Amino acid sequence: MKNTQLLTSLRYALFGALAMTTSQVNAKSIVITNATVYTVAKQGILSQATVMVDDGIITAVYSKDEIPASLIADTIIDAKGRILTPGFIASGNLLGLVEVGAVSATRDSSDKKADLTFDASLAFNPKSTLIAYARKGGITSSLVTPYGGEKVFTGQSFVVNLSGDFDSVIVPNNAVMVSLGSSSKGSRATKLQTLSNNLEDAQKALAKVNKAKVSNKKGKDEQEVKTPSRSEQVMNAILSGDKPLIAYADRATDILFLLKLKQKFNLNLILAGASDAVLVSDEIAKANVVVMMSAIDNLPSSFDSLHNSLINVAKLTKAGVKVIISNSGESYNINQLRFDVGVAIANGLEKTSALAAVTANIADSFNLNSGRIAVGKNADLVLWSSDPFEISTQVDAMWINGQAMSLKSRQDALRERYTKETNMPRAYTK
Amino acid sequence: MLKNSISRNLVTHKLMSKKFAFTLITTSIVSLGLTACLPNVQQDAKVVINKNPYPSTYQVLPAQSTLLTNATILTGTGERLNDADILLVNGKVMQVGNDLSTEQATVIDMKGKWITPGIIDVHSHLGVYPSPGVESHSDGNEMTSPNTSEVWAEHSVWPQDPGFQMARAGGVTSLQILPGSANLFGGRGVTLRNVPSISMQGMKFADAPYGLKMACGENPKRVYGSRKVLPSTRMGNVAGYRSAWLAATEYKRAWDKYDSDYSAGKNPEVPKRDLELDTLMGVLDGEILIHNHCYKAEEMAVMIDLGNEFNYHSGTFHHAIESYKIADLLAANGNCAAMWPDWWGFKMEAFDMVEENVAIVNAVKNSCAVVHSDSAITIQRLNQEAAKVMYRANENGFALKEENAIQWITANAAKSLGIDDKVGSLEVGKNADVVVWNMNPFSVYAQAEQVFIDGAKVYDRFDDKYQAKSDFLLGQQLNSHVNKVTDKSVVNPVNQPATKLVTKE
Repeated sequence: MKNTQLLTSLRYALFGALAMTTSQVNAKSIVITNATVYTVAKQGILSQATVMVDDGIITAVYSKDEIPASLIADTIIDAKGRILTPGFIASGNLLGLVEVGAVSATRDSSDKKADLTFDASLAFNPKSTLIAYARKGGITSSLVTPYGGEKVFTGQSFVVNLSGDFDSVIVPNNAVMVSLGSSSKGSRATKLQTLSNNLEDAQKALAKVNKAKVSNKKGKDEQEVKTPSRSEQVMNAILSGDKPLIAYADRATDILFLLKLKQKFNLNLILAGASDAVLVSDEIAKANVVVMMSAIDNLPSSFDSLHNSLINVAKLTKAGVKVIISNSGESYNINQLRFDVGVAIANGLEKTSALAAVTANIADSFNLNSGRIAVGKNADLVLWSSDPFEISTQVDAMWINGQAMSLKSRQDALRERYTKETNMPRAYTK
Repeated sequence: MLKNSISRNLVTHKLMSKKFAFTLITTSIVSLGLTACLPNVQQDAKVVINKNPYPSTYQVLPAQSTLLTNATILTGTGERLNDADILLVNGKVMQVGNDLSTEQATVIDMKGKWITPGIIDVHSHLGVYPSPGVESHSDGNEMTSPNTSEVWAEHSVWPQDPGFQMARAGGVTSLQILPGSANLFGGRGVTLRNVPSISMQGMKFADAPYGLKMACGENPKRVYGSRKVLPSTRMGNVAGYRSAWLAATEYKRAWDKYDSDYSAGKNPEVPKRDLELDTLMGVLDGEILIHNHCYKAEEMAVMIDLGNEFNYHSGTFHHAIESYKIADLLAANGNCAAMWPDWWGFKMEAFDMVEENVAIVNAVKNSCAVVHSDSAITIQRLNQEAAKVMYRANENGFALKEENAIQWITANAAKSLGIDDKVGSLEVGKNADVVVWNMNPFSVYAQAEQVFIDGAKVYDRFDDKYQAKSDFLLGQQLNSHVNKVTDKSVVNPVNQPATKLVTKE
């Protein structure tokens, strides 16, 4: 079998440079020149632009007319006109929480006892084999959303980068998740009521505490102010808008109810799933609520999702809704997020909005200092061989916090073992 | 009548019709002759197993002769024709080449478009695990015994599954519907034409051989092991297969003896019919093809030997994630391997995925690499699934082209299903199953614009007339307000007609 392992000379040269960067742990500054930069920021798309990185942060983005006469950096990369984008941010997965789905001992994504305080970030495994594979798709960070328990509140999401380092968790417990809609047992109404009642009770409790605080200040009627429980603290963070509430719901009636709750309790609401959101797109846009959804789930998979369609992302975006494109299904193939985006583009989504749907929109929704190529942002960057969404394109280079990342995964090791010539058992090929 | 009582003494399905006629005639002549010589033996009427009790009633949709011109054509034979034409007449490919002309056909200029054979998926559960995924429609796996060779997936097919239309929009013209993988023997699969129909029979691919679903590995041992029934281990799996094939061998011997004794003028006792063994005997007779859910290299190697032990061919390995480890063995034994480009990890047997699996299998001489979906979502984009393999492999030393990659979802798939004499390539005389793409089908932005089955247009992306809709979706959530015209673009994302108001007379 013919299977030479030659890379293109271009790629080879680039990796040479990157290897040096990685080996010099203290190499802090990088200059990427001659790039077509998709900033997903005010500067839009810049050709022949230069991006400077220092100590993991983007320090300058120069259009071709602004580039200073001399630039000094530890590493200089000539992008040769290729496209540089912010690293893609995946969402709605179990990355680092599940290694092999059918091996229960490798699943840390749920627990019967889990409630809204469930902090799965403690279980995150930065050494999971899924992470290196995900990087091959240009993904530099992810919002991980564990299933949690069986209650309406299923736990809290967290954000990680895909560096594979032990300090990968960027923000633990960054949002609370609720799961609504149809199920084979009981009524959807109970879930909606539970959510609504819990919010109302928490608001009342909070009012009581605040009243007590005010009284204490005035020195009258000394009242004991109880320290709120862990659950109460989380509920209070939802009510103050500090913690977004990610609500999984598909049917339009559930979505409308959530929009009412948002208004009543001033929630920082994010809709997830949202198969039938197109039926109430104007209401969602008016309420300024972000929708996190799949771009490829187009089947009427339940009576809650009869309006699933490949054109939904484009339709919602056109209606003024900010959309985050999430992978559907398991975490094993989140590197394919870019192809899902491609499908959305083929079905009417404008390319700029498409890129934002996996970068800036999610960063804005969860207060992440990434998702854009702009001064002050984390240097999570991807250099693509061509159009990021096209199947023929590959990731040529990636940086997370300014550190060049390997694009090899266990899959490459297996391929190499089984395509090399040898007269010994393959087990000797390493 | 004759059509429905095919003789079972056949080696391959391809010979079925010819040899069938021959055998029946021979049988009747011989038996008459012998009866004349042995006047003492009174023969009962010969019992012949009806091999096709649920025959295809598929009818070609209204069609006209069509000449598609100036396209890039991937023929499915490994060839690419630039600026080429294809003539479809009477449901067949009549001509393929440059500068064709005809006076009897509608000519459509396809400049800039790409044309491929109709896409074939060898592994689908459309209709048996349909959308919506409600319990009432969950008919894909008879998980009540490790051997359910007696069940036929065709008896579970719900033709109104909206997924068929979605797959058609992705260029899928033929597909095999298989039972699930919980059992060692899951039952028979059926190959369908992807046309809208009220009945399964209306979709059934006439003369396509049945498949028998077998399953290796984790699923059977998990499902039955948890019930304290064999198999609970992989060795239990293999013991289960062997016991079944032993019984099938005996069954076949009994029927062969009945046939030969009858032919010899005797009046033998008719063997007791057994639906489970009928299916297994069909495999031993070479009429039913094995489709084996089997991920791992060492298990495939055992399944190949198992076939040799009982004298049947081990067929196609599905989800064959570790094929790349035994590519030579598969080719030497004539097995097809049906693979995903990159699904992996969800269980131990799916852990050793490589993105070049299909390409590595394909690189061996006499191989049969197939890309399959096993998904109502990815069946809609098998072109992109093949593209992923092609590009990832080319990044790692392969030199695959579009004309090679298209074969994984057309010609090789047809070979796996035993229908390659009819479909899978755009050769003269083949069925006119054709997809017109708006661009190179290996682009993420590619869309199937027109789909033809047997020369009849079954889908047109820009013509609502050729966009079928399931009964299930028709009339869902119609506008309740008779006088208020709602914004169609919001309410009707799937082009639902607005309520028609008709005054009662």
